[in-house]
Amino acid sequence: MLVAEPTEPIIVSVNGTEHRLEVAGSRSLLSVLRAELGLTGAKYGCGEGECGVCTVLLEGRPVRACTTPISHAHGREVVTIEGLAEQGELHPVQEAFLEAQAFQCGYCTPGMIMEAVALLRQKPRPSELEIREAMSGHLCRCGTYSRIIKAIHLAADAMRR
Amino acid sequence: MRSGVASGKTGTGRLGLTRREFLRAAGGLVVAVSLWPERPAVGAAAGEGDRAGWLRVGEDGRVTVFAPVPEAGQALRTELAQLAAEELRLPISALEVILGDTHRVPPDITVCAGSAISTLGPEVRRAAAEAREALAKAAAEQWRVPPEQVQLREGRALLISDTDTAVPIGDLAQRAAEMRRAGGPAALTPPAEHRVVGKSVPSLDGPAYVTGEARYAADLRPPGLAYGKVLRPPYLGGRLLSLQTRAAAAQPGVIAVVEEDDLVGVVATRPDVAERAALSLRATWGQGLAVSGASLYEDLRASAELEAELASQGDVEAALAGARQGYSASYRTPFVAHAPMEPHAALAAPEGERVVVHASTQRPFQHQAAVAGALGIPAARVRVICPAVGGAFGGKDSPEVSVQAARLARAVGRPVLVAQSREEELGWNYFRPAAVIDVRCGVAGDGRIAAWDCDVLNCGSRGALAPYRFENHRVRVHRCRAPLPQGPWRGMGGAANAFAREVHLDYVASQLGTDPIGLRLRHLEEAPRLARVVCLAAERHGWRDRRPPTGLGSGFACAVDAGSFAAVIADVEVERTSGHVRVRRVFVVQDSGLVINPDNMRSQIEGAVVMGLGFTLREAVRYEQGRILTRSFASYPIPTFYGAPAIDIVLDSDRHDLPRGGGTAALCAIAPAVANAIFDAVGKRLRELPLSPARVRSAP
Repeated sequence: MLVAEPTEPIIVSVNGTEHRLEVAGSRSLLSVLRAELGLTGAKYGCGEGECGVCTVLLEGRPVRACTTPISHAHGREVVTIEGLAEQGELHPVQEAFLEAQAFQCGYCTPGMIMEAVALLRQKPRPSELEIREAMSGHLCRCGTYSRIIKAIHLAADAMRR
Repeated sequence: MRSGVASGKTGTGRLGLTRREFLRAAGGLVVAVSLWPERPAVGAAAGEGDRAGWLRVGEDGRVTVFAPVPEAGQALRTELAQLAAEELRLPISALEVILGDTHRVPPDITVCAGSAISTLGPEVRRAAAEAREALAKAAAEQWRVPPEQVQLREGRALLISDTDTAVPIGDLAQRAAEMRRAGGPAALTPPAEHRVVGKSVPSLDGPAYVTGEARYAADLRPPGLAYGKVLRPPYLGGRLLSLQTRAAAAQPGVIAVVEEDDLVGVVATRPDVAERAALSLRATWGQGLAVSGASLYEDLRASAELEAELASQGDVEAALAGARQGYSASYRTPFVAHAPMEPHAALAAPEGERVVVHASTQRPFQHQAAVAGALGIPAARVRVICPAVGGAFGGKDSPEVSVQAARLARAVGRPVLVAQSREEELGWNYFRPAAVIDVRCGVAGDGRIAAWDCDVLNCGSRGALAPYRFENHRVRVHRCRAPLPQGPWRGMGGAANAFAREVHLDYVASQLGTDPIGLRLRHLEEAPRLARVVCLAAERHGWRDRRPPTGLGSGFACAVDAGSFAAVIADVEVERTSGHVRVRRVFVVQDSGLVINPDNMRSQIEGAVVMGLGFTLREAVRYEQGRILTRSFASYPIPTFYGAPAIDIVLDSDRHDLPRGGGTAALCAIAPAVANAIFDAVGKRLRELPLSPARVRSAP
């Protein structure tokens, strides 16, 4: 049973598939992705935009899905970690995270990867400080920060080739 | 040690089988090598004393390893696979590892889930070696040759003299299972011959992590899934006096408002509905615990009771009285939170008389027992499965959320997911025990420490006994009435105990005008492995004796934890006026016994340093009148990309020792290393964590 709230359907493209959703516009993008569309790669971490584990791309820009109302995604394009690989081929950032073993428990990894993908589109050769700045909204309690920085450098190198 | 080989018919493991039934049904060669009952199974469900399999060679040739502790970031799955692959001469890709499923794995024999590899690793290694020998014997029997002439390679048994004579191990599994091995334990492959162990094999879970395919408890979506939200009191100890549920129950999408004894929860078809409905519950609460952080250390002292005397060597009082110089001080560490990125979550699904719980925990058997107790059903009817666990750090032992999910699921008769919010995670978990540690130290005329007297309040005995040889040595551990719920935390009391001991030694050395590493080495003659990493750290870092304070400084500390030995040097920069401390570089030399996966060992040490810097510099749980105030990442700041220093690691391991958990020793040593570095940099001695700018500014 869905909640009967006066609502316009929300139309959103997620990983290239268009969805018509009968949900309240105030609901978070994260809640819709996870509970309605079954896309659980973006995680819940804090609900306040403080930790970055819910990061997805909205119109190519990284957003915190936990604080983004679904209405904000209406008519727009969302890419999640599930939509990053193309035809079974991992994105260079995913490859680089594997190469650097830039994870322990893996929970923050999808958000880190999405932010890094956006960063490298903006700045194909980021300095270490630029990486720290761009990634500063992401937390990893396992403490793999230096490996993530290394992975982003590796991905930058791979994408230039 | 008892060991044995069991066999059975082919079938698949599924819910509803006891472990013995599962093993019987699983077929093939099942090797159970176990240490119980000699060593009791910690956390095993009551009445389940049967020996369970650690490893199975199926008739299809597939090899499966089973172990009780789930993957929570330590690469346990990968390292267990490496150990089994080594002994069975298999490529690592040929193995499957099943972790943390009460109906499929042996009972939990670990004391510390974080260093599970030191307990589970040897079991899996022995089981695999035993399977290798049994398979070789079965092949030898078939070929009528002595077993020494048979070798296993890539999933086949070969005749050494004629490698064209070969048989897949799956074909041998049944016969190997029938031939119970006699005599002593199987021979382990000597470390010098290791080909898989000791290699930096990439994590088996990595591909699932980077694609988002890894499933954590809150990611599972069984048909009919409902979402539960539990009502929490506004402060600790608050008891429910009255409750109005009408507004919550009337919300569209609410399936039920459940009131059962102390449990009040809303179950709804969607997570946002459950949250909103829970907010509309109207409750009044009785008085809670009037505990406040302002009096934390006084509260601990006032309630301290002697629990144990760990060491009583010589006559400490006489030696202190007769010492040329005496140095006393107290050290304090606050409560800290685990704050894993994944908050606790559990999904409970009723299946007839039984319930299946997918839980974010490192202790599936504890959760099984608790859920069974709460539902009043036998443990065998509760299956707890650990999916991917998004960090635990000792904080996911409590079965509270699993019990909540199971009770709500029973009440509504469908699967219910209870996933904690960040606020609940930081406010309603248990914490690392706060500590007060008093140290009295007497130095004799020859410059040796003649007396060491240490009183440890509230944080327990782990790491309390100094690894140094002091002629007169007394350590007393006191239990206290802790104002907040407390429990295991990575390294337990080891970090607080190392902080007190290692800062005090630095203090004594500075008072004596001697080198702090030299002072330690003079008392490490009976601890050669620790002495070795201490010497190596001094050598490789380029350590030199104190200089006049310049704002830049280096500090040394060492620790022994979980069988690992770590020497840590921190290089810091301190801004005198602001009190801001920047840790520029951390240098670690560590001996963790047999290193199964060097890259993972480095990763664990890096993580230990980063997590350790959190409670060293910033973290402390604040509370007032029973309310936890630090319930968000804004109020409880954990380490970020900005604070992460350069970390240089030298692994100097004794590979003839057991594999040891490597993720805690450096974590224990980092806080004192930084405190000592601050002293080196600006001449200020800090004895209370965290080493915040305010404390640095106000320290004498």
